[in-house]
Amino acid sequence: MDFYYSPRSSGSRTIIMVAKALGLELNKKQLRITEGEHLKPEFLKLNPQHTIPTLVDNGFAIWESRAIAVYLVEKYGKDDSLFPNDPQKRALINQRLYFDMGTLHDSFMKYYYPFIRTGQLGNVENYKKIEAAFEFLDIFLEGQDYVAGSQLTVADIAILSSVSTFEVVEFDISKYPNVARWYANAKKITPGWDENWKGLLQMKTMYEAQKASLK
Amino acid sequence: MDFYYMPGGGGCRTVIMVAKALGLELNKKLLNTMEGEQLKPEFVKLNPQHTIPTLVDNGFSIWESRAIAVYLVEKYGKDEYLLPKDPKKRAVVNQRLYFDMGTLYESFAKYYYPIFRTGKPGSDEDLKGIETAFGFLDTFLEGQEYVAGDQLTVADIAILSTVSTFEVSEFDFSKYSNVSRWYENAKKVTPGWDENWEGLMAMKALFEARKLAAK
Repeated sequence: MDFYYSPRSSGSRTIIMVAKALGLELNKKQLRITEGEHLKPEFLKLNPQHTIPTLVDNGFAIWESRAIAVYLVEKYGKDDSLFPNDPQKRALINQRLYFDMGTLHDSFMKYYYPFIRTGQLGNVENYKKIEAAFEFLDIFLEGQDYVAGSQLTVADIAILSSVSTFEVVEFDISKYPNVARWYANAKKITPGWDENWKGLLQMKTMYEAQKASLK
Repeated sequence: MDFYYMPGGGGCRTVIMVAKALGLELNKKLLNTMEGEQLKPEFVKLNPQHTIPTLVDNGFSIWESRAIAVYLVEKYGKDEYLLPKDPKKRAVVNQRLYFDMGTLYESFAKYYYPIFRTGKPGSDEDLKGIETAFGFLDTFLEGQEYVAGDQLTVADIAILSTVSTFEVSEFDFSKYSNVSRWYENAKKVTPGWDENWEGLMAMKALFEARKLAAK
């Protein structure tokens, strides 16, 4: 299956890890957003919203990383461990996925992303939202090894992608002991972590270059 | 089941319509977030993220409206009503739900929420964000009766809640002909539309009062 992605993007890294966990081969096609490659007509035909990651599985095009992750498990998982069939377990995973999108990753996009692109950090209020998001995650992980229940799920993988992005921009995760404990474990046990980190090192280069240019 | 909500909340209205479609009775508990009622310890115990809507189904507490909607259908729905079983069809439903959260509703929040604080809407760029989101939705609906395929799903209901919020805020989406056509039909065929509209009237009153107060 064709996978349109960028190594840096957190949604792309989520899918790379989920595919690895499922033992799936992705036919990777890197799209350079900065060059406008996502606006080419042949890509718009696949995804009119022209976002990455986009997966094309035998003619079926799907986007939004968390939707792709669930799709891959439902379609190709040998069992339901990454996304259990029980409605209550699923509901909790979905809640964490929406938390990841609307609260945790969103807080990154509003504070650090402008810095990487333009050298301008978000405002104090934006920073407080990051702290609030980590506090929520810390509470979710109280007495828990995983973010949604007692086993590794797609929610851990999506949140691992987000939390590791915060590590690269030097946000101090150690203040949140449950998150720090979960993160150390998730890095070890999540298939494809190495590739996630490789993608992040590209982002780190951009982050360091912005920092240097401000000196 | 207990349902903590405010009548005007977009996510709350989604769940109200989904419950109605499924024939479920919600034990509605009004939570006035304008007065900080969501921060009371008894509510934080149910939902540490203290957001509405929150559903408590026989001791199982869940939040994020789109996760609640899918939960109710999976737990109490019959056959494939509102959510197909095929992984590809489900993936499209999920894609639309994430689009609703991260793009469509997000564009509303960016442009219209500032009115609550300052009496003035967001920037021209924020307004363009709304137009872009409606452009995408219009493309999704080209030649389609419903937002994710050929049947009414939870994605239609979530997006109906959002699009109707734009109507009440006087955003003119008549130039998005597919959206207008879909909206007219969705209003008619979605159970609980009346209650959605009542909630919107409550929201509108609040909105107008805030606009006046900020002047």
